[in-house]
Amino acid sequence: MEEWMKKAWIAIGFFVLIVPLGILITWNYGDAWGEWGSVSDGNTTWVPKEYSGGAPLPDYNVPGWENKLMASLGYWISAIIGIVMSVITVLGVAKAIELWRRE
Amino acid sequence: MHIPDGYLGPLTCGVMYLVMIPIWWMAAKAAREKLGDKSVPVLAMLTAISFLVMMFNWPVPDGTTAHMVGGTLIAILLGPWAAVIGVTIALVIQAFFFGDGGITALGANSFNMAFVLPFVGYYVYRGMRKILGDKPSSEMLAAGIGAYVGINVAAIAAAIEFGIQPYISPGYCPYGLNLAIPAMAFAHLTTAGPVAAVVTALVVGYIRKNRPDLLAEAAPAEG
Repeated sequence: MEEWMKKAWIAIGFFVLIVPLGILITWNYGDAWGEWGSVSDGNTTWVPKEYSGGAPLPDYNVPGWENKLMASLGYWISAIIGIVMSVITVLGVAKAIELWRRE
Repeated sequence: MHIPDGYLGPLTCGVMYLVMIPIWWMAAKAAREKLGDKSVPVLAMLTAISFLVMMFNWPVPDGTTAHMVGGTLIAILLGPWAAVIGVTIALVIQAFFFGDGGITALGANSFNMAFVLPFVGYYVYRGMRKILGDKPSSEMLAAGIGAYVGINVAAIAAAIEFGIQPYISPGYCPYGLNLAIPAMAFAHLTTAGPVAAVVTALVVGYIRKNRPDLLAEAAPAEG
């Protein structure tokens, strides 16, 4: 790996360490506008109110880890898993495109 | 900006998926032609950065939150089609694994964050570089302005998609355009926009020092 990318990954590692700030500084805030978990008065006839029931780590947390400390830990785990999945998926897609190119 | 399930009526969801199919196809074709061995690890890293920056929610003065996306950054460094791929991958992981953004709304969310955002950001960046010139500081400024405009146009696109629901699909998002557009614009003009501008400018500055070739490919002179 090129040197500048190593440094960049170290920087990413630092931001993973502090990622719980992403929930802690907005702890008493509502959700992002339009990102609420469910529409209280919305229509639920053709889609589940929230699919999150099927997501393993809904809202980037381990279900049940509600207090600030545990939610931070859950957020931290989610960041690491998400980053690993992002990298693996991009490499997988790139591999598929590479095979397609050779056809 | 991640629209959840249950906000967009079936018509909007279907149309947005249909719109995304040719866009994803074009992105795959562009990758087939251009995405070289050297770019792949960079795209993997930038996709990870996009996933991570979307976890940094920033408080909006009205009591909600907003986050940047990183789409303009990928577009500047690897081209807007690569950004379509990277941000879509991040959105798919978020929707299926973390329940962030609906699966029925994935077409719409991809349109806003993986298509509108990087393309607007990228072309604003290129336009600004023509105006501002080639100095490193001008390039960073152009990147920041591109990121700022890109995320705000994407936020307005999202606002229009759920803001039209009361008129076309009653029972879904209850808030009309008169509420959705100001709310989304406020959050992104004041909070996510400035964050996106600063982060994008700093990273572009760092890359310029280390991999100027990436930026040269995106330079206006090369067409």
